[in-house]
Amino acid sequence: MSSPEAAPTDFSIHVTFEMLSQARCLPIVRATVAELAETVGWSESETRCITMAVDEALANVIRHAYHGRTDALIQLHCRAGEDQLEIRIRDTGDAPDQSRICARELGCDRIGGLGTHIIRDVMDTVSYESRQDGNWLTATKRLRRKG
Amino acid sequence: MTILVRESGAAQVVDVEGDVDLGTSPDLRRTLFDLMGKTPKLAVNLRKVRYIDSSGIATLIEVLKSTQRLPVEFVLFGLSPAVQDAFRLTHVNRIFRIVETEEQALTPA
Repeated sequence: MSSPEAAPTDFSIHVTFEMLSQARCLPIVRATVAELAETVGWSESETRCITMAVDEALANVIRHAYHGRTDALIQLHCRAGEDQLEIRIRDTGDAPDQSRICARELGCDRIGGLGTHIIRDVMDTVSYESRQDGNWLTATKRLRRKG
Repeated sequence: MTILVRESGAAQVVDVEGDVDLGTSPDLRRTLFDLMGKTPKLAVNLRKVRYIDSSGIATLIEVLKSTQRLPVEFVLFGLSPAVQDAFRLTHVNRIFRIVETEEQALTPA
């Protein structure tokens, strides 16, 4: 008798985007991420924050990895399960300068540098890795269900 | 994103609607900087903003800092839930003058 297969979780979806490094792609991604987060069970406000974190990460790739180039490729993987969302973003531009991540002081009137704070504040885990196949940002957030 | 500029007394009121992001924030920046030398008060209505990212917030900070060097008062009013969330995440609430209504925005600080 064969061993029973692991029961599938109640909800699981994996969405992949391949987009050019263009700001006009961002509203499409935001709409999809918001739909995913809402479906998993995050509140309206949490959904907005998660969407913002993903959007900021993509905007950082466009601005800092590709320096505004509009013909480069960005991959985004969104994996939503019953109680967690995982985001992975890959680019082949310049690697992020780790010393500048969250280097800006909060609460001051300095222009710029807010994006990485938003990502870290919203997501539970955030990591940046530069590999042979590109730069990877991986971020996760767990849903804490009430009751 | 759509931007509507209107006069209210001596003030210029800027109604912003839609998404303020990497693609659209340069338009908002251009509008606000164009108005800066033409009015003693610049009031930005954010009630219909569906989304604002850090580039939009950076634009507002840049305008604020520029108005501080001029005899121009810069005030934000009617923050939508999306703007409130973004401001909370970025801790910028205390650097702006923020009020609820247009009437409050047009009252001298």
